Amino acid sequence: MTDNNNRDDWEEAFWYSGKTTRRRLVGWSAKAAGALGAMMLVPAPWRAAFGAAKPFKIGSLQPLSGNAAAGGKTALVGVQMAVDRINKMGGINGRPVEIVTGDDESKPDVARRKIEKLLVEDEVDAHVGGFLSNICLACMPVFEENKVVNMISVCLDTTLTTTKCNRYSFRPYDYAPAQAVAFAPYLVNKLGKRWHLIYADYSWGQSTRDAYAQEIKKAGGEIVGGTGIPLGTADMTPFLSKISGDFDGLFAIEFGKDGVTIGNQAYDLGLTKKYKWAGDGALAESTNLPGLGNKIEGFVGINRYIPVFDPPLNTAAHHKFFDDAVARLKQIDPSGPLPDRYVQSNYEAMNALKIGMEKSNFQGRDDTMKLIEALEGLEMKEGDDFPQGDKVLRKEDHQAFIREFIFDIKDGKHRILETVPKEKTIFPPACKFASS
Amino acid sequence: MTARRTRIFWMAFAVILALLIVMPFGLPEFWRRFLTEILIWGLLAMSSDILIGYTGMVSFGHSAFFGLGMYGAAAALLTTRPPSLWLALLYGLIAAATVAAFVAYFSTRLRDIYFAITTLIFSQIFYVIIFTWTDATGGENGLAFSRPALAIPGLFSLPFTTLTLYWFVLAVVTGSYLVLRRITRSPFGMVLQSIRENEARTRAIGYPVERYKIVAVMFSGLFAGLAGVLYAIQNRFAAPDFVFFVVSGEAVIYNIMGGVGTLVGPIVGAAAFLLLREGLSRLFPYLASVASQHGLALPGLAEFPYLIPLGIIFIAIVIFMPQGLLGFARRRLNE
Repeated sequence: MTDNNNRDDWEEAFWYSGKTTRRRLVGWSAKAAGALGAMMLVPAPWRAAFGAAKPFKIGSLQPLSGNAAAGGKTALVGVQMAVDRINKMGGINGRPVEIVTGDDESKPDVARRKIEKLLVEDEVDAHVGGFLSNICLACMPVFEENKVVNMISVCLDTTLTTTKCNRYSFRPYDYAPAQAVAFAPYLVNKLGKRWHLIYADYSWGQSTRDAYAQEIKKAGGEIVGGTGIPLGTADMTPFLSKISGDFDGLFAIEFGKDGVTIGNQAYDLGLTKKYKWAGDGALAESTNLPGLGNKIEGFVGINRYIPVFDPPLNTAAHHKFFDDAVARLKQIDPSGPLPDRYVQSNYEAMNALKIGMEKSNFQGRDDTMKLIEALEGLEMKEGDDFPQGDKVLRKEDHQAFIREFIFDIKDGKHRILETVPKEKTIFPPACKFASS
Repeated sequence: MTARRTRIFWMAFAVILALLIVMPFGLPEFWRRFLTEILIWGLLAMSSDILIGYTGMVSFGHSAFFGLGMYGAAAALLTTRPPSLWLALLYGLIAAATVAAFVAYFSTRLRDIYFAITTLIFSQIFYVIIFTWTDATGGENGLAFSRPALAIPGLFSLPFTTLTLYWFVLAVVTGSYLVLRRITRSPFGMVLQSIRENEARTRAIGYPVERYKIVAVMFSGLFAGLAGVLYAIQNRFAAPDFVFFVVSGEAVIYNIMGGVGTLVGPIVGAAAFLLLREGLSRLFPYLASVASQHGLALPGLAEFPYLIPLGIIFIAIVIFMPQGLLGFARRRLNE
């Protein structure tokens, strides 16, 4: 009680005695800022501790705030998992690995500034990250300018490894043309010949639409129509209600909350019963399933990673990856989400970089060209480093080819229907590196 | 302004300009680029001050002018070989001025919140067009291009370095400031201020208020477009995110932080905001690493959302420094 009285007196004195003037408050703020600044000037004690085994600095630019924050935090979990495991196993070339993160706030201007900070000021040895395609594309020239290897870990835009490719950037996971090559024969031969495409009406949706249209036709199918839906449309009914006619299947290219919207609204309009219902795996990512409920039952999709233990994912390596990821994801999201392809591709991108660094005996930025040569054509074998499966990083465009899983949703869970080996996902290279 | 005050102003102007010219010599590479960016965002904020501070019209359409300036520059840099700096400026300014004229024609018929909302809607219309017209604008991914050289045809051609780009941007921003200062002190500028103070009375005196407002929006849009061109040249890409209304909101924040109706204030506001954001984004990871070295586990500190303290500081400035940082500094100096 006494304490409370004292506090009341103090509060009264603080707010009402006239001593807390605007000027004083500003003064206190300035003093606090000065103290923080002075603290920042004190040499960091950990610097001395590194001594002989100076760590490799690996930059990781992720959207930790802004629109894509949820995905960015998940992606960072993958990098952290890989780095912790690498450090436990003795590091890379006898040196520990330190992650230097940057928050791009889901904005390209901030991303550009942060990537320059990572490369110019923090002098990272290499980079693993990049979530939003527009940000990956905006930052790619900076890696080339500073001659630093960039392992892209989520960005999906096709042009990253085609028309806008560069020698310093690698994509160690799949892209839409490879998925279309893998999925189109299944769609045409097992589900139906005539398809209507629904797509997110912006660059990713449009380029993915084109890839599927080309491969479905190549497989002997036919595209009868297309419906573009603007990104973030809350009510898709006006678009979906116009879809009718004589065709076999609806193929949806949507992701995130738009994936949830289209899944629910297409079901409500009866489209998913009238037609075969298939699409990009991003629509039925494990994080979307709770929002889709039983309306997504029967959906057939393709993805590079799904969190199940059906063969061929019933391996010890996958169990280890899955358990570690689940425990870490629970720390950032108490609802306990299952790992998704963002965790997987970040984890494996870091491991691909590790193998390249070991193969080239990488010691620092001076060895960047040796590292690039080691990564070009790199064969990665299924195991603890790559629980998703074997993969190869093609030399001509720095694009990886990996196995794909065709799945459906049964009883609210993913179920593998077919596994497409990496050899059956190959799409011809379309990249010309500038002479370096 | 008395002769003495004029003399003091120009002396202070020369000293600050000299300091800005030599400042990059003492700065590492990253901060030189950062300083260049501050000047560019400062120019955008200064351009919106013409409307907010001098005409009393809050615009959320500046992202459209800024973005169209970027895309105009991109068009020039992608279609001409070798890329020309002057064509980039010309295309960017034409694009921004055209859009500004279009927006001004429709929006200046409205006042207050209706004007603000109309400009916001226009910026969103341009955003959607750019976002979905992938073939021409690159859609969500935007356009990437190479940086032009600093060249005068027939005389010289030098590739931009961080330092020369900074000086070029500084020269453009200084020139823009002097032009805008002249405009705001001209009879035209006085009419704008009269509109801000009492629009009905200005109209009653006989001034064609709508026409003055249209010209004000066009001037403002032109300088916002110039900032967009400079940003495109510095960063070598144009993206629809810059047309999104949030960029206009940031320009308004810079104005409020620095002090509206001062031209210099918005530049100060941009500098303060960007430096605070950068500093706070580094502070929490640093504190977490210091704590962990001292055996203190503070989970979540490194990932603390630094935009929250930034927002709190902004609110404190609005409450305790209603005239912005510049107004506050002026008052302290006059005491």
